[in-house]
Amino acid sequence: MSTLADLLDRRDARLALIGLIVFLLAAAFPWTVPGLAGLPPVLARLVGGLLVAGLAVANILVLRRMPFEFQVLLAWAELLLVFALFFWSFGLDYRFILANVPGLLGFGAGQAFLQGAVLTVVICLVSITFATLLALVGALARLSGNGLAFGVATFYISFFRGTPLLLQVLLIYLGLPQIGLTLEAVPAGIIALSLCYGAYMAEIFRAGIEAVGRGQREAAASLGLTDAQAMRLVVLPQAMRLVIPPTGNQFIAMLKDSSLVSVMGVWELMFLARTYGRAEFKYMEMLITAALIYWLLSAVFEVIQARIERHYGKGVRP
Amino acid sequence: MSLSRRGAMLAAALSLLAAGEVSAGEALDRIRSAGVLTMSTDPEYPPQSSLDPATNEFQGFDIDVGREIAKRLGVDIRFVTPGWDVITAGRWAGRWDISVGSMTPTKERAQVLDFPAVYYFTPASLVVHEDNKTIATPADASGKRIGVGVATTYESYLKKDLTIDVADAPPFTYQIDDAEIRTYDTDLLALDDLRLGDGVRLDAAFTALPTILDAIERGYPFKIVGEPLFKEPLSVAIDKGDPELGAEITRIVDEMKADGTLARLSAQYYGTDLTQ
Repeated sequence: MSTLADLLDRRDARLALIGLIVFLLAAAFPWTVPGLAGLPPVLARLVGGLLVAGLAVANILVLRRMPFEFQVLLAWAELLLVFALFFWSFGLDYRFILANVPGLLGFGAGQAFLQGAVLTVVICLVSITFATLLALVGALARLSGNGLAFGVATFYISFFRGTPLLLQVLLIYLGLPQIGLTLEAVPAGIIALSLCYGAYMAEIFRAGIEAVGRGQREAAASLGLTDAQAMRLVVLPQAMRLVIPPTGNQFIAMLKDSSLVSVMGVWELMFLARTYGRAEFKYMEMLITAALIYWLLSAVFEVIQARIERHYGKGVRP
Repeated sequence: MSLSRRGAMLAAALSLLAAGEVSAGEALDRIRSAGVLTMSTDPEYPPQSSLDPATNEFQGFDIDVGREIAKRLGVDIRFVTPGWDVITAGRWAGRWDISVGSMTPTKERAQVLDFPAVYYFTPASLVVHEDNKTIATPADASGKRIGVGVATTYESYLKKDLTIDVADAPPFTYQIDDAEIRTYDTDLLALDDLRLGDGVRLDAAFTALPTILDAIERGYPFKIVGEPLFKEPLSVAIDKGDPELGAEITRIVDEMKADGTLARLSAQYYGTDLTQ
């Protein structure tokens, strides 16, 4: 064992291992590309595998000599290039994609107000707001000494974390009319997303509040603050710092989960992508475009999350 | 009080409640007073229903039939797009009034929906990749992997569990035994999987002939196997509880058959008259 560990401590040995792994992965492909197609199958795999492994090793050797920022930039650029080549191999209709990007975003010809990506973002922003409120109440109830509040909170968290979101969407949309409450699709979707994510986030908030040291509350009490004041002025602001990163995570997950509300006929991004794709039998085109739009939206919200983190992290920077 | 007596009373109370909910003529009154017929449609099924990406307008055979029905009711039409299983689940709660969605009136669906008018018949065909050499007749597909849309009549046929609940349904026999059924969210996903190559994921797919022909026209490498396996009647559907609306729909669709409107629309979208 120790000899293997010693070996892996050596740079060249690690590089050789990476080369071997890349070779094996690349050789798993059949390599029926033009140029190699004439060779016997085993030879084609060998040549293809060596080619890719050689490229990977050479790439690492070059990258090693660069400063950190260049390494990051080049890694992104290379992975994007591989992605682009992969999509390019599908033989997509790019004119169709370009023509429909405005429609997917929600700015197409003849579209009503609020559709596509715009609707997705609006639904998520409203839902995350309600979910945050629910989570705060849920976490406080979960931490309180009141048995009823604790019971209600744990039941709520358990049910909405324990059942599939699609089921919750359908229960709210199809079930509530049975007791006389007929909701439109968008409000039903927002309620389902808020309830579901509120349950997840209640646990995040609870963890954040519990992580603030006991001494903070004791200090607040000794200054004459009431329990409520201590929570609002001392504990919560400190808990926020811990709560923001996982909440950002939840929001990005919600961006994509919101496509589930399309079963009720909500014209969000995923619905339009599927429907446009079907009309012209160009499904892959629209799915890939929608994927890129979701990705871009997530990237934007990652930046926003970083900003908020910096704001609440002010007090603890060394 | 015995349990069964209590059960009977509960049932009676529930039926009273149900009767209170939807009085006869309510849906028709709602349509007339609003001046709008709300129709549900699943725009993932060209040439029946799709959304033109260039204009964001609905198009297709079902859409035009719906427009014509609304016109003859003297009202405007509005489209909503709930998922297919939400439409077929019934209990629409007044969210939409009508489905002109090429729905087969099966026994199960008839428990939650009314089917006032069959408006055309669509042949159901088996399709294979053009490279396939083993499936020459539908019977050859026995035991093979066949893709279908989930909760469709095609799935029911392969399970030998298809009961079409209208008087003039054409008779059929089960020709495929023990198929390895692969279900998809929509029929077109099955076609997409078959397109990957013969036997890659599927050996065959089973869906409506017009859908297959449309796919072939768009370059899908398919060939159709033999004659259609069954012809399914397709009906307009409405929610339970308003016979007045049902009678009105029956009258209008009969009228559209008699004056040739339906045959003309069928020729426009399918190149042939499927309304007989």
